[in-house]
Amino acid sequence: MDLLLSEQQNLFAETAARLCLDHGGPKRLRALRAAGADMDDEAWRAARGAEWLATVVAEDHGGQGLGAFDLALALEQAGRQLLLLPLAEAAAAAATMSRATDTSRTAGAIADLLRGAGLIVPATEAASWRPGARASGIRYDSRAGVLDGSIAFVAYGDSADAFLVAIDSGPQPVLAIVPRSNVSVATDRNVDGSTSSRLAFTKVHVPAEHVIATGVEARKLTLYLQEFLMLGSAAELVGLAAAALEVTLDYVKLRQQFGKPIGSFQVLQHRAVDSFIDIELNRSLVYRVLAAYDAGEHHPAMVSAAKARASRAALQVTRAALQMHGAIGYTEEHDIGLYYKRAMTLAARYGGELGHTGAFSALTLEGVGGAP
Amino acid sequence: MSWDNTTLFADDTPADRAFRQEVRDWIAANLPFELCNRATRIDPPELKPWHRKLYERGWIAPHWPKEHGGMGATLTQQIILFEEIIRVGAPTPYPHGLNFIGPLIIDAGTPEQRAKHLPPILTGEVTWCQGYSESGAGSDLASLTTRAELDGDDFVVNGHKMWTTNGHFADWMFALVRTDPKAQPRHAGISMLLIDLRSPGITVKPIQTIKGDAEFAEELLVDVRVPRENLLGGLNDGWKVANRLLGSERFTTGHPRNAAVLLNKARQVAEVTGTLREPGFLQKLAALEIDLLAFSAYYRHAAALHGEQRAPFSMAPVIKIAGGELGQRASELLVEAAVGFGPLADDMTVGNQVVNPAAEMFEMRRVTVGSGAVEIQRNIIAKRVLGLPS
Repeated sequence: MDLLLSEQQNLFAETAARLCLDHGGPKRLRALRAAGADMDDEAWRAARGAEWLATVVAEDHGGQGLGAFDLALALEQAGRQLLLLPLAEAAAAAATMSRATDTSRTAGAIADLLRGAGLIVPATEAASWRPGARASGIRYDSRAGVLDGSIAFVAYGDSADAFLVAIDSGPQPVLAIVPRSNVSVATDRNVDGSTSSRLAFTKVHVPAEHVIATGVEARKLTLYLQEFLMLGSAAELVGLAAAALEVTLDYVKLRQQFGKPIGSFQVLQHRAVDSFIDIELNRSLVYRVLAAYDAGEHHPAMVSAAKARASRAALQVTRAALQMHGAIGYTEEHDIGLYYKRAMTLAARYGGELGHTGAFSALTLEGVGGAP
Repeated sequence: MSWDNTTLFADDTPADRAFRQEVRDWIAANLPFELCNRATRIDPPELKPWHRKLYERGWIAPHWPKEHGGMGATLTQQIILFEEIIRVGAPTPYPHGLNFIGPLIIDAGTPEQRAKHLPPILTGEVTWCQGYSESGAGSDLASLTTRAELDGDDFVVNGHKMWTTNGHFADWMFALVRTDPKAQPRHAGISMLLIDLRSPGITVKPIQTIKGDAEFAEELLVDVRVPRENLLGGLNDGWKVANRLLGSERFTTGHPRNAAVLLNKARQVAEVTGTLREPGFLQKLAALEIDLLAFSAYYRHAAALHGEQRAPFSMAPVIKIAGGELGQRASELLVEAAVGFGPLADDMTVGNQVVNPAAEMFEMRRVTVGSGAVEIQRNIIAKRVLGLPS
């Protein structure tokens, strides 16, 4: 039982933990990687069956309208079990679409997502996701209704049936659904078996009924979508780091050297404690920011802070885990390396420590200080 | 939306918000300006009038039960009081009487001990110090050798105490002393004594700190007679008595506000020195602000759980380690922000505020050493929370 959660949230988290344990784990990740799959279809069916997507969809769209916090509890469990699950992505798309003013254009897509008729993942870019990048690689011409350019680092792009394209840079922001058949998708494999896709839009015509929002509303919804993705991956990283520490604690309690378990040595104990503290602080940060996000009371800098810190902590914890495993940690055979690889992917996805620390700095530089 | 790092994730209920405003208004009217934002330490005698004012307002001991003259306040209210006092740069009263021995006397004291010692702690008439450490007993506190032997109705105490904050200003000391040298484990032979520092046989000598002021003292005790009724708790129960402080005091000493104030000073100093235009400085500052945000989130969770008396054991040592190390890093950034002024021995003036980066930095060195070094706290977490073997 997690003391930071309500009774209802604890129940949900426990159910999620069981589902993720049944479907995930290092063995499963290895099998998917060997098969060249970029997502876990079986686990995804189970997650949809458990109605996780519905938690973030507004009630008038057939969802439960609970907010991102509850979903994040499932994401944390997915992270623990190294699941290749497009949960943060599909949920971000569904939640964003359900917040659009013109519901006539989104109702069908949301219903499809909820019943698993098609997978829609976000295709968006924020400057902070790629430090130094400013100009957008994609443009929308509202008069002609045409998208032109490319979007990189799209997660689960290989399995997606459609993309929720969200552009807030440039003179014409837009939020639109684009079927996969209209896009050319080039997919690269990451070290953990997951993929990143680059979408090329060559003068793609977007029919009016696929445009969900433009102008100020598109900009607002794009920000909501991007923050959702950042917080979702941060929640996965929290679970992942905690699991890596648990695996490591089990190992150092058993592994003997100098006639004693290596976990009895103070140097390793202090390393483990530092990982523990990092994870504890991180979970509190992500939970608090999620709560503020759901209440619409967060400062945008808080989201960058959560992603920056979750990325850093997960990398630090999994690196320390490798070190504490010694030579066996360096092998392909041992599972601890999978946690490190998964951390690398999730840390970079939607912006890592470097980019988000810079974003945080820019967002908080003005009007700092508070009381005297 | 402007960024305020001083009350991050505050959990105030409407009643708490009203209380916060009440405190804020009162402080504005009663604030001792001359004590605010001092770059160097304020000794207990100078603090007494401020202590008295808080006492008269009824706010000196928010955490004490009402029947003993406290406020019986919730932990959130205690934190609000603390936050509002340091928000304006005013000092908080020293904790040794109010936070350490006071609650222990309430908890384990006899009716006579309570009647005698609690009122002057509240009014501030009596200053207390803590006699735990010795030259040979720091992190390994249970190895302490100051001896107390019963002789008629008195204990006769011989030994040497060290690192006692305010020892040279104190009227009384609560001390851990060895009453059974053969006991195993060693902490089973220790008792808690309340010692009147004016007793014959006590020599007190101040110790200059790295900061340059005399915060600590050492006490030599030679055949000091302490009446038997000054034993707090049972004979040889001293370790248990001392450990009954459940860590509430860490919720003020470990408050994230300490680091927030230092980071804000670093920013102000950097603006004056031009360091604020350095991308490297901004990146470091942002990284620290992010860690402050995470620590604030943890702190609020811990305080909420502690208030409901269901905080897990790990929270107090985590606050001690994470808060102490964060404050230290913030103080180091303050020195860096000051560039050439960093090593200045004297105060520097920034706007209408006096800052002494080096002194602030030295001050923070002790937070990872005092009352249980962070290494000891890590040992505790390793064994008791992570279940790692000995």
